[in-house]
Amino acid sequence: MAEIILWIIQILILPALSPLCVGIIRKIKARFQNRQGASIFQPYSDIWKLLHKDEVISRDASWIFRFAPFAIFGATLAVSASIPIFASFLSNNFTSDILVVIYILAIGAFFLALAGLDVGGAFGGFGSSREMTVSSLAEGGLLFSLLVLSFMSGTTNLFSISGTIDSLPLASLLPVVLAFLGFFIVLLAETARFPFDNPSTHLELTMIHEAMIIEYSGKRLALIEWASANKLLIFITLGSSLFFPMGIAHSMGVIAIAAAILFYLLKILFFCIAIAIIESGISKLRLFRLPDLLLFSFILSVIALGLII
Amino acid sequence: MQELILSQVAFFAVLALFGLGAAAALIFRKDDNLANLSSNSFAILGSLLGVAYSIAAINSDAAIFYEIKSSFPLLSLNFNIDRLAAFFIFIISLISLFCSIYGAGYIKHFYRKYSIGSLGFFYNLFILGMLCVVTASNILFFLIAWEIMSLASYFLVIYERDKQENIKAGFLYFVMTHIGTAFIILALLLMYKFTGSFDFLVIKESIGSIPPLVKDIIFILALIGFGTKAGIIPMHIWLPAAHPAAPSHVSALMSGVMIKTGIYMMIRIFFDIFIDASLWWGAAILIVGSASALLGVLYAMAENDLKKLLAYSSIENIGIILLGLGSALSFAALEMKSFAALALIASLFHILNHSVFKSLLFLGAGSVISKTHTGNIEEYGGLIKHMPQTALFFLAGSMAISALPPFNGFFSEWLTFQALFEGMKSMDSAYQWIFVFSAGSLVLTSGLALATFVKAFGVTFLARPRSEKAAHAEESSLSLRLGMAALAALCLLFGLSSGFLSEIFNKILHGIKSFGDYDPALVVSQNHLISVNGGFSSISVPAIFAVLILAGIAIFAITRFVSKEQNVKIGATWDCGTNLKPRMEITSTGFSRTLIMIFKGILKPSKQAGIEYSDANMRYFPKSRTYVLEISDVYKKYFYKPLHNFVFKISERVKKIQSGNVNAYVLYIFMALILLLFFAI
Amino acid sequence: MIDAMNNSFFQFTAITAVFLSAVLLHITKRNSTAVSLYFIQSLAVAALLFQPLFENFSMIVLLMAGLTLAIKAVVAPLFFSKLIKRHQLKFSASTYLNTPLTLIVIAALAALTNSRIFSHIASIDPDNKKILALAIAVILVSFFLIINRKGAVSQIIGILSLENGIVAFALFSGLEQSPALQIGVIFDLFVWVIIAAVFISMIYKQFGSLDVTELKHLKE
Repeated sequence: MAEIILWIIQILILPALSPLCVGIIRKIKARFQNRQGASIFQPYSDIWKLLHKDEVISRDASWIFRFAPFAIFGATLAVSASIPIFASFLSNNFTSDILVVIYILAIGAFFLALAGLDVGGAFGGFGSSREMTVSSLAEGGLLFSLLVLSFMSGTTNLFSISGTIDSLPLASLLPVVLAFLGFFIVLLAETARFPFDNPSTHLELTMIHEAMIIEYSGKRLALIEWASANKLLIFITLGSSLFFPMGIAHSMGVIAIAAAILFYLLKILFFCIAIAIIESGISKLRLFRLPDLLLFSFILSVIALGLII
Repeated sequence: MQELILSQVAFFAVLALFGLGAAAALIFRKDDNLANLSSNSFAILGSLLGVAYSIAAINSDAAIFYEIKSSFPLLSLNFNIDRLAAFFIFIISLISLFCSIYGAGYIKHFYRKYSIGSLGFFYNLFILGMLCVVTASNILFFLIAWEIMSLASYFLVIYERDKQENIKAGFLYFVMTHIGTAFIILALLLMYKFTGSFDFLVIKESIGSIPPLVKDIIFILALIGFGTKAGIIPMHIWLPAAHPAAPSHVSALMSGVMIKTGIYMMIRIFFDIFIDASLWWGAAILIVGSASALLGVLYAMAENDLKKLLAYSSIENIGIILLGLGSALSFAALEMKSFAALALIASLFHILNHSVFKSLLFLGAGSVISKTHTGNIEEYGGLIKHMPQTALFFLAGSMAISALPPFNGFFSEWLTFQALFEGMKSMDSAYQWIFVFSAGSLVLTSGLALATFVKAFGVTFLARPRSEKAAHAEESSLSLRLGMAALAALCLLFGLSSGFLSEIFNKILHGIKSFGDYDPALVVSQNHLISVNGGFSSISVPAIFAVLILAGIAIFAITRFVSKEQNVKIGATWDCGTNLKPRMEITSTGFSRTLIMIFKGILKPSKQAGIEYSDANMRYFPKSRTYVLEISDVYKKYFYKPLHNFVFKISERVKKIQSGNVNAYVLYIFMALILLLFFAI
Repeated sequence: MIDAMNNSFFQFTAITAVFLSAVLLHITKRNSTAVSLYFIQSLAVAALLFQPLFENFSMIVLLMAGLTLAIKAVVAPLFFSKLIKRHQLKFSASTYLNTPLTLIVIAALAALTNSRIFSHIASIDPDNKKILALAIAVILVSFFLIINRKGAVSQIIGILSLENGIVAFALFSGLEQSPALQIGVIFDLFVWVIIAAVFISMIYKQFGSLDVTELKHLKE
């Protein structure tokens, strides 16, 4: 019974918190730019507003355009059921494998790119092209950074990894840190943050993620915005629960779980601050410089791997 | 019932049905419809029987061996059907079943243009040749079957002989396949020389009499020879030319099944006949596999012809299959049988999956090409509105080949990854890094494959038509859709039943000599949970499928509930104020240009620009600009052209012997006679 | 005993006649002489074939020998003479090597056949060793005739004399003298005669000469 409650919390907490993360990042960036910035709960209002608006769908669009937002959001929900958020003792041997998580997220990327192509506008097309370029090169860094952790803990099950990493000796910190650096670069790439993409740009020529969704409106746009917030929080969760699983609950117990959730919120806050600082501090890189950065992330992970095998 | 299906009669009935199909096609060649109907019906019947037979053979425990002695010395028609051969019979029959169903409708657009009788004849002969190749147990019989397969497919490649490029493609295919056959003959003859027998089973027994150096040489010769048929880099140059040239259902068979026969023989020789492999064999195959996978997908990405794109993608998947094979060979060399079995299961599973989804993609491409009369992706667009079902099946195939769960491609790539991860953990240093490098190339390949098929599906079917031809396309006829629908359903089915299929693969491997009895590293539990390597990884594809469906339904229901009062209006795509034209959509060239520029060291793109001015003297206002963007074929330029020139130079010198003078020729005979008498006596 | 000696003497003479005609064929300039030499050669071979009749009479052997005589010694030379007269092929075209060199090569070939190497072949039937050696020499010399001569008629006569040499070799090498063997030889002869007839007429009509070096414009 308690497990079922935990599972429900597990599945619901991620979509519930993700707009908050986006809000926090925007607020911090605004502060850096000497503005007041919108409230941190503004994204919730945005989603609510969009859900209650009419939609305009292009007559060139097919069923893929209509279906894609559900597929993308569904993929993020499926992943949120498979990653450790606050409890490492929950066991999910079915879908909680590093490769499975990567490929389910790839389903989302696949449909998003197709939706970008579907409307036949100029922006959607090159948005999809750039997105495919970045994500195909980023997969290597992502897989290998997670692979470092799985070799260190002897399993690819994400819940088990989070259970064993914080019990490792300090000497093994170096590979974890290197792998985390590689992972962080991929996080920025996959969630369309600086230096890969500017999530708040209005210039179509500089868009990657925004260009693909430029034709969406109404409830579908709400879903897509929410899904990309989900994806951001998924990656932050992966980073915090797998690489720095301090505070995660190893056993059932109300205090342990409450503390774990608290730690989790704190870690999210740290990550959001870090991302906001990076976004305010560096500029977006030219598209052809991005592969070098992604290759650097891959190399970091491979070096970390070399340290442990 | 099982005895009946598994009897000798049934097997020869399968072969006979295809033979009858070939004969019927020739007999009825005057009447197009009748030739089409008869040849395809016999093919369908033969495939059905073949599927039933192979399933029964995999389930049974006995080894099956038939022998027909012929009047020629050394040649006896031996058929040895162990579980591995039965598995390949299954693949051949399954794919030819659906290709024949598809073909029945597809061939109609060749009526009155080309001879349907010869198409039916060579088609059935081709399948018959493939069946004999995977079951032959005698070297000479094997070579005869191999040659029948190659020649029949050659005639199928040049079937549409009015197009000049088809003839060239056929010639290239012919030359390359015979170069490969030459290497194969050398390898097999070496085996004969040291064991003294042409029979595979006897060679298996006396494998000890082959010295290790000769085994290494046989390995290299077999790798090059069978690799040419499989399409590994750098012997792949015939694939992108020949597969597009053949009729689409034949391309599906060639790409889905024929190139796997090369892999089959590799498995047979390296695992079944040779029992102690050297460690460097596995490493060599891993390196070849990584290179093929990466380069194949890069060239696929850069390709604008739909069928050529699919052909390069086949090269990529052969690379992935070879990754599994190479890992298996490395583990087998170190006597780690469980891991070797895991890797080989990954390879075999990918063979099955690739044949299903690649045939599906080729059949889809065939439908599109036959309705739009062009193979150039740049002229497609918006076909999803005219051909909705073809688009759906092509989407299923694209998702499968990009390894997206819950389709079948995901599971075989997952298994290949597991095999590589295991190699990274258990090998020692130099080989570890080869495994790391292979895993890196596999993950990059799978990302690029996703990008390639987003392009292929998106530019073909979505958005607006880019040319008149695409604007007037129609949905294909029933038989075409039936063939594709069945294959798409199989993609999903094989993905969902991965656990069940893994158990069957374990069973198949028990019959191969290198394995015998081993502790399986891949364990399937009661609730279809697959775990490998003692719990290192575990997944369950049906569960993934269920979770995805549930999530999708949940979010759909919630959204419907929340925004039930909102309307959906149909409007125009944002056009920045101008008229919407096909030129506003992204082109296939544009889509892949970024990746091509990133990998320009490998692909070596070239750009030529030309300009025509309104006034040649003033040169202020250009009238037109021409851009030619090309990807140079690195292999042809740096590997084959120098080889070609070298052979030509030697031939020119040798040509001088042929003077045209009768007396000179008789002089040659005379000298030869005297020399022979000298040396013989 | 005396019979045996007489026989072998007779055989030896016959084979020498064959050999000498083969050699002399090299020297002839006129086609008619060549045909006559061939006639003599065929007579000698036919005589060799008749010879077993003296010991044991057999209808088949008589028939075969008679047939050989008829075709080789009568029909073929007549045919060639008619051909020569019709196309006015009086003189044989020149050779590649001039006469002294030709004779040196012939001598070399003859020496070769007597050498150690060929003696192994000749030892198939040790009694007739010298005769076998001569037969091989005929074969080689006829080969050389084909190589050396430019005119088509000479080449064909060379082939026919090669035929004679092979028959002589077969006779003395201890092969079973079956009718099949002789029929085979005669069939071969027929084929050559027909070829000669058809092709010489055609070549002459097309090219105006039988000199092989002139037969260059083959494409039209």
